[in-house]
Amino acid sequence: MTAPIEPPRIRFLPSGSTLHKLSAVITLALLIAVFSFTSPAFLSVNNGLTVLLQTSVIGLLAIGMTMVIITGGIDLSVGSILALSGVITGLTIKAGLPVVPAMGLGVLTGALCGFVNGLVISKMRITPFVATLGMMLIARGLALQLTGAAPISRLGEAFGTLGNGALFRIVEMQPNGFPKVIFPGIPYPAILLLVVAVLGWFLLQKRQIGRHIFSVGSNEEAARLSGVNVDRTKIWAYTASGALAGVAGMVLMSRLVTVQPNEGVMYELDAIAASVIGGASLMGGVGSISGSMIGAFIIGVLRNGLNMAGTSAFVQMIIIGIVVIGAVYIDQIRNKI
Amino acid sequence: MLDAMQTGAPPLVQMDNIYKQFGGIHAVEGVSTDLYPGEVVGVLGHNGAGKSCLMRILSGAMRASSGQIHVNGAPADMKSPHDARAFGIETIYQTLALANHLDAPANLFMGRELRTRFGNLDEKRMLSEATEALRQLNPNFKNLREPVARLSGGQRQVIAIARAIYFQAKILIMDEPTAALGPSETAMVADLTLKLKQEGIGIFLISHDMADVFELCDRVMVMNKGRNVGAFRIEDVNKDDILSLIIKGTLPDDWEPRGNSR
Repeated sequence: MTAPIEPPRIRFLPSGSTLHKLSAVITLALLIAVFSFTSPAFLSVNNGLTVLLQTSVIGLLAIGMTMVIITGGIDLSVGSILALSGVITGLTIKAGLPVVPAMGLGVLTGALCGFVNGLVISKMRITPFVATLGMMLIARGLALQLTGAAPISRLGEAFGTLGNGALFRIVEMQPNGFPKVIFPGIPYPAILLLVVAVLGWFLLQKRQIGRHIFSVGSNEEAARLSGVNVDRTKIWAYTASGALAGVAGMVLMSRLVTVQPNEGVMYELDAIAASVIGGASLMGGVGSISGSMIGAFIIGVLRNGLNMAGTSAFVQMIIIGIVVIGAVYIDQIRNKI
Repeated sequence: MLDAMQTGAPPLVQMDNIYKQFGGIHAVEGVSTDLYPGEVVGVLGHNGAGKSCLMRILSGAMRASSGQIHVNGAPADMKSPHDARAFGIETIYQTLALANHLDAPANLFMGRELRTRFGNLDEKRMLSEATEALRQLNPNFKNLREPVARLSGGQRQVIAIARAIYFQAKILIMDEPTAALGPSETAMVADLTLKLKQEGIGIFLISHDMADVFELCDRVMVMNKGRNVGAFRIEDVNKDDILSLIIKGTLPDDWEPRGNSR
């Protein structure tokens, strides 16, 4: 009995996924460097915190999206679910429910939508693309129907705390009577994003459900034959994605202190782009939370930097489109190594 | 194996009158077979004869349209691969059923991950157990942390076999275990099959390789168009008889048991 002879491995090259993540981090660093030159206000504590705030919504969506993409699926409904969750919260606050349970109900609405996605995909055997496309229309239609397409405002100061508050905010009263902000504080959405990202990483890497998500995405038939409950795993992933869309909805609507039923259009594409830039493969079985977070920040920094440089929103779309294609191209090169 | 058959102990597996239809197509029609501890039963037939289908029913990957399965004399209803595993039935699939992006320990424990007291994945223990299980089969097994897509066919087969052995299969279904292997690896699988047989494990072997069949099997059953067209002790048939059963579904006209035992 002879073992097959292993070809000598080149050790000084980093492995595929590390290489991809490294290239994403370098891209992010380059972007920051370039924007620091083009706009002097870019590299400041204040703007850094703004980017954090702006990225938190895409980041939250991207965490759920990454889990779904690793199972080999896709979730096109997150932007609409975000709006519907916000609408449910807004309506229940108007009906007299306190902010915290109303927000809980909003997140629950998102989870329910995701659960339905999971059921349709696993039990009715509808492809994820079609199932979540349907949910995208259903949730958006519900949000518009419930509100008559009008925004819900005057939701009270408490509703705005999550999106506008900050931890460790230091304000000093000056002798002239005007307050001076010494440190604007870490925005709550950024803290929430960090907590959810760590939780997502923990579930994917350290828990059985995470291992099953990777198994299902890598080889669904093998996972089924090995006794993995494939349907349950998929339903779990889509429910998580829906719930996180609900959380993202809370953050976004709270920041505006207004519920907009037509908010979040095309956000799913940003979330997918963040995951793919971060190394997730739409074929399933590959992806990471850390990569998707880098991806979300690349999109966030790009948007913010281009805005500050005065680039139009249309040109921004073109540039982000090119970045997504570039990221997938790098992914293909990595798979050849 | 003969002892077990003669003492009248219940067979390890008994499949009675199994039917499986897909719409109007009858993939398996009224097939009965059994398996005793420490014997290897070859399941033969050309592609589409229903042998893989029959074995998938036993492994819980597919549900029979009708028919009964008994394991150790007790009725066994296999709703999923999980149920089958609870009865000690393990399967080594032709396609190897591995998740390419995951490493060897993750594949070995797929669906049955070891966990710490807090319910987290116990990576350390899975790695050490997998290392031991794989080294038993192939002392040169390296690269345990590599995704299995990067491993050779032989190493992948070792993982698939280790998975069955580690979880102490009583009944092993091997679906063309050597189809993707080179000569030395094929010999290793043959050695292993005989070793497992000595340990009292019952094995169903699906194979197209006549040399393997005559070397390893105690009995053979041949399927043709979904039916069991013959079950024999290996000494009673020769290669031509089996080929005739596989191709025509009948024995040669002048056939009589060839073994000296009758």
